[in-house]
Amino acid sequence: MSKLVLRNLSRRFGSFTAVDAIDLTLQEGEFVSLLGPSGCGKTTTLRMIAGFIPPTGGTIESDGVALSSPDAVTPPERRGMSMIFQSYAIWPNMTVAENVGFGLKLRKLPSEEVHRRTGEILEIVQMGHLAGRYPAELSGGQQQRVALARAIVVKPSVLLLDEPLSNLDANLREEMRFEIRRLHDEFRITTVYVTHDQAEAMVTSDRIAVMNAGKIEQVDAPFALYNRPRTRFVAGFIGRTNFLEARVHGGQLDLGGFALPAGVLNGHTPAAGQSVLLSVRPQSIALAREPGGDALSVPARIVEGAYLGEHWDYLVAPEGAGETKLRVTTLPSQRHQPGEQVWLRFDPDQMVPIA
Amino acid sequence: MTDTGRRLDRRGFVGLTAGGLLLPGLVRAQGIAPATEISAHERSLYDAAKKANESATWYVSHYTSETAEQIGRAFEATYPGIKANVVRTTAQVAYQRLTQDMRARVRNCDVFSSTDIGQYTTLKTDGQLEKYQPQNLRFLFETFQKASDPDHFYWVTSAGTVLINYNTRHVSAADAPKKWTDLLDPKWRNRIAVGHPSFSGYVGNWVVAMRLAYGWDFFKALEKNKPQIGRSINDTVTMLNSGERWVGAGPGATTQNSASKGNPLAIVYPEDGTLLMIATTGIMKSTRNPNAARLFVEFLMGKRTNEIHAANFTDTTRPDVPPYPGAKDLATVKLLRPTDAEIEKGIPEIRELWRDTFGV
Amino acid sequence: MLRRLSVIEPATLLWLLLVGALVVLVAWPVAELLVASFTAPRTGAWTLSNYAAAYGRARYVEALFNSLYLGAASAAICAVLAVPMAWACSRTDMPGRGFAWFTVLAAFIIPPYLGAVGWILLAGPNSGWINQAWVWLTGAEESLVNVYTFWGMAIVIALHSYPFIFIFTKSALDLVNSEMEDAANILGAGTWTTTLKITLPLVWPTILAGIILVFLETIALFGTPAIIGIPARINVVTTQLWQFFEHPVRAEVAAAYSMPLLLITAGLIGLQKLMLNRKGYVSQTGKGGERRMIKLGPWRWVLLAWCGFVCLLSVAAPMVALVQASFSRAWGRGFSLDNLTIKNYRYLLFEHDGAALAVVNTFVFSAAAATLAIFIALAIAYVVKRKLLPMGGALAFLCMAPFVIPGIVMAIGFYAAYAGPPLTLYGTAAMMILAFTARFLPIAYANGSAGVQMIHPEMEEAVRILGGGRLTAVKSVVIPLLKKALLGGWLLVFILATRELSAAIFLVGPETRTISVLLYDLSEEGNLEVLSALGGILLVITLVFVGTGMKLIGRDFMLRRGGE
Repeated sequence: MSKLVLRNLSRRFGSFTAVDAIDLTLQEGEFVSLLGPSGCGKTTTLRMIAGFIPPTGGTIESDGVALSSPDAVTPPERRGMSMIFQSYAIWPNMTVAENVGFGLKLRKLPSEEVHRRTGEILEIVQMGHLAGRYPAELSGGQQQRVALARAIVVKPSVLLLDEPLSNLDANLREEMRFEIRRLHDEFRITTVYVTHDQAEAMVTSDRIAVMNAGKIEQVDAPFALYNRPRTRFVAGFIGRTNFLEARVHGGQLDLGGFALPAGVLNGHTPAAGQSVLLSVRPQSIALAREPGGDALSVPARIVEGAYLGEHWDYLVAPEGAGETKLRVTTLPSQRHQPGEQVWLRFDPDQMVPIA
Repeated sequence: MTDTGRRLDRRGFVGLTAGGLLLPGLVRAQGIAPATEISAHERSLYDAAKKANESATWYVSHYTSETAEQIGRAFEATYPGIKANVVRTTAQVAYQRLTQDMRARVRNCDVFSSTDIGQYTTLKTDGQLEKYQPQNLRFLFETFQKASDPDHFYWVTSAGTVLINYNTRHVSAADAPKKWTDLLDPKWRNRIAVGHPSFSGYVGNWVVAMRLAYGWDFFKALEKNKPQIGRSINDTVTMLNSGERWVGAGPGATTQNSASKGNPLAIVYPEDGTLLMIATTGIMKSTRNPNAARLFVEFLMGKRTNEIHAANFTDTTRPDVPPYPGAKDLATVKLLRPTDAEIEKGIPEIRELWRDTFGV
Repeated sequence: MLRRLSVIEPATLLWLLLVGALVVLVAWPVAELLVASFTAPRTGAWTLSNYAAAYGRARYVEALFNSLYLGAASAAICAVLAVPMAWACSRTDMPGRGFAWFTVLAAFIIPPYLGAVGWILLAGPNSGWINQAWVWLTGAEESLVNVYTFWGMAIVIALHSYPFIFIFTKSALDLVNSEMEDAANILGAGTWTTTLKITLPLVWPTILAGIILVFLETIALFGTPAIIGIPARINVVTTQLWQFFEHPVRAEVAAAYSMPLLLITAGLIGLQKLMLNRKGYVSQTGKGGERRMIKLGPWRWVLLAWCGFVCLLSVAAPMVALVQASFSRAWGRGFSLDNLTIKNYRYLLFEHDGAALAVVNTFVFSAAAATLAIFIALAIAYVVKRKLLPMGGALAFLCMAPFVIPGIVMAIGFYAAYAGPPLTLYGTAAMMILAFTARFLPIAYANGSAGVQMIHPEMEEAVRILGGGRLTAVKSVVIPLLKKALLGGWLLVFILATRELSAAIFLVGPETRTISVLLYDLSEEGNLEVLSALGGILLVITLVFVGTGMKLIGRDFMLRRGGE
């Protein structure tokens, strides 16, 4: 049975529609991210799942039981979920151990068990030695670990995370991504993770639901999402890309000044006269000093280049394409001067038509 | 001069002894618990009150809190089993509460005592008072018997005086004003203290009496001497004590009480008349405690209450109880006492006039 | 398979109960008053004649204007006294900051009424100590100061109201980040320019809030105008109101007379809200920053002298006068050994019929009212800030409304509503406690509201998602986090309640007399020696309470800070 089902879920605030009729189903043990820019409705969705906000339309079910509908809402405390907040919400009036044991005490477990499980989970998040500390004496990363431990120790039916890493610095953030995934692999708790950071979502998630303006644009595994984006928004939001407007003319794919054979697009060849939008990732285009000798090689000129250490980032203008410019990334060793003549080579497998 | 000045009957001041005069008040009040004879009438009221499990709630404003409490305690001691609830506040509050009670149809108050005669005429007209003829009324000075309501709705239970008080450090007995009109002498400019008729019944009565005697011109002339205006009549005592002012139109009782502690104060009974202030008491209509209320009224006129009066520097109403230390034999003093009608009509008028003349 | 679920949380009932409490405490008495102001006294018919009577006469209107002038004057004086002190205590290296604190605290604890008596002893035009010293020193004919003037009264009132502005200003200044000042310094502004152009403007709305508070306090004050204003020949609203209760009593006219006061104050509070809602002021951000003490150099002695001067005026001088009186047999005799006695204290503590009871009453009522007010206010603030009920704004307004009602007017409403059936609370401790609670609810609310604002809602959501209900969240997180702030607010209300006179004097019953009422009675009886001794007792006991509180939560307890 599906663990968590959002069906036609909507939330309006006055005349503003924050969440617009979304559908999403999570399987038991699945880790799904809600990814999108700020204001896309991802946090509202999460808070509806938690029960803090009632929906104005649609339902939320868990294990086949309705939790939220516009008429009735199970309060958060009766959902058996747990949540990690953007601010961590570690209670400053309790020690680390008291924070972590709080949920267990609410479940009226015997105190030995509370003690034992608190100790265990603190070891797992490597906080065992700080059990007696107060939150004010902890670093941001340590507070984050306490929040994780506090949320996991109660074995929630669903774990909700609301941008949990956004207050950490870059290195720590990277470390914690893997920590979260590790904990998920260990406990297999059904998880909904809200973030605006695609790298976080890709590292942690089984599937990612990309949200924009209150709607889910696409739900897919990270690999599929990156390589087969279905909408312009997803293609642009997940990684960087070049958008090319293509029109089919007499067996040629006219890209506005230069052309490729129409057959290159795997199975998606549009009908003659139709236009199609292609997403072409910068790293899927190769740069060469010599022509490639086939139809996929296109002459171009370097407009500018930036060295980013791990790669070069060039802006190139295909010849005869007017204003069209493409971003291309190359290995760090491949240096070109602005104005230099180069040949672009497209990889048809990585040219994705967008709906 | 109208015929408002009356003389207290000398008859009955026989019980006064020098010893009684000199005894410090508190000792006398606490040390000697005088045997109170309970009359047959009082006895029957007491029994009836006890039987009905009654208590008496007394709204009172003119005593000090302590005097009022002492009277309440003495009542309870005399009549064990009957509780006296003493509600002592300022006059405005007491009456305001009473009217609020009546509006809310609560009968909190059984016995109501105040110095404002106008309140009684209103209550009487509105049928809010219970008719009763206290048997102890006949033991009071005749003046007080006469000042009680002829229709038996309210009776005098306490009295006070307004006279000239002065600071003995700044003013010798020889220089002190001898009569009210002496206060108009320019030598008292910035030296006089008075109260305010809108805040004090004593002052109101005094102003009415002065107006009757000398016309409002008296106050216009007084204003030329820039008197200090307090609220209560007792504020004059404070002003004299501090030396802020030297002479005042003040209360006999509080002045003497303060002087007895060693403060540099003395009093003059003015040649043109000491104002006699009376406080009356009534029983509220349809009281739930009719017997206790009547018993309490009898007690207020009794010897024991008057002994408490004297001990606390309040004028006595019975000739058989000596006055407080330092007080003159009222029978030898010329007294001013406007009629009830004059007071009732006069007070609202003089409040307006006062405001016109003194600006406050 | 949708299952029907209940929408109502159990806690919702509690919130509704609170709304009930607010209605009981505020709405009902005020409604009684409003109705009374439109009711003909005898017939009970609807009428406007009470308003005509109240405002149809120039002298009544004049009293209203006097009150407004007085409020403005004493608020301005308060600002002059308090702002430099607050700045010195918050941002500079002035020595003796603890002493300045003590001054403010002491001035706050002293009932304004008692302070006024002290100043009469000091600055009476003929006999005041200051004037006697002046005449003795200079041989002058004319006295130097006269307390019985408009400005005398305004200053005396200000001397016991400035702590409000101090508290407001200091807590706002504590939140100004030093970087703001550094930024001005780096551009070449000196300390004074920075302070005047940057620091003070940042906290200006808060200072203004304090000024409005003092203004409102002043026009609602009864005791000081009664003993200074009348000899000064100045009638104000409260003394005029009192006169409406002279026979023939015109409570309806009094009710009508006080209605414009409600409008004025409601308008002022609206204005204040408007100012505080503007963005970019420090009070709005609520975030403390790095603070560096400004080095004042020799100027620190100037500021210290100013604090000393304020202490002298507001605490030392009136207290010395009162203490002298309290240990005198007859204070009119002045200093001398044979005039020295402890009899006044002995009399009050052991012989007086009502004093011991009044002392106990005062502290029991004040403590109960403070507790009640803090908890109701906290709960309402919580409901409003967390938007648990619709019409939160109306609830907040009800909480703030008592602020605008003069104590005596409030007391009339209370008496009308509760003295009789169905509750018949007259003469009970409950009546006094409820009245004190209602009267100081606004202070408690401001405190609670600031506190709740500081708690991130996620703190509570974390409790709820783990399985605790809202009440568990409040009990295990909100209250522990606000412990200090609540205790501070409690002390504040407690102190104010021990000073309360204007409502108490109307509601007091035989068994419920408080010290402030007894003080007033004693002054009416002209018994200054005992009055001073009672004031001394009140101060000593209050100081013990406050001292204990400060031990528990630090001396900054009065600052409006929430959370840790």
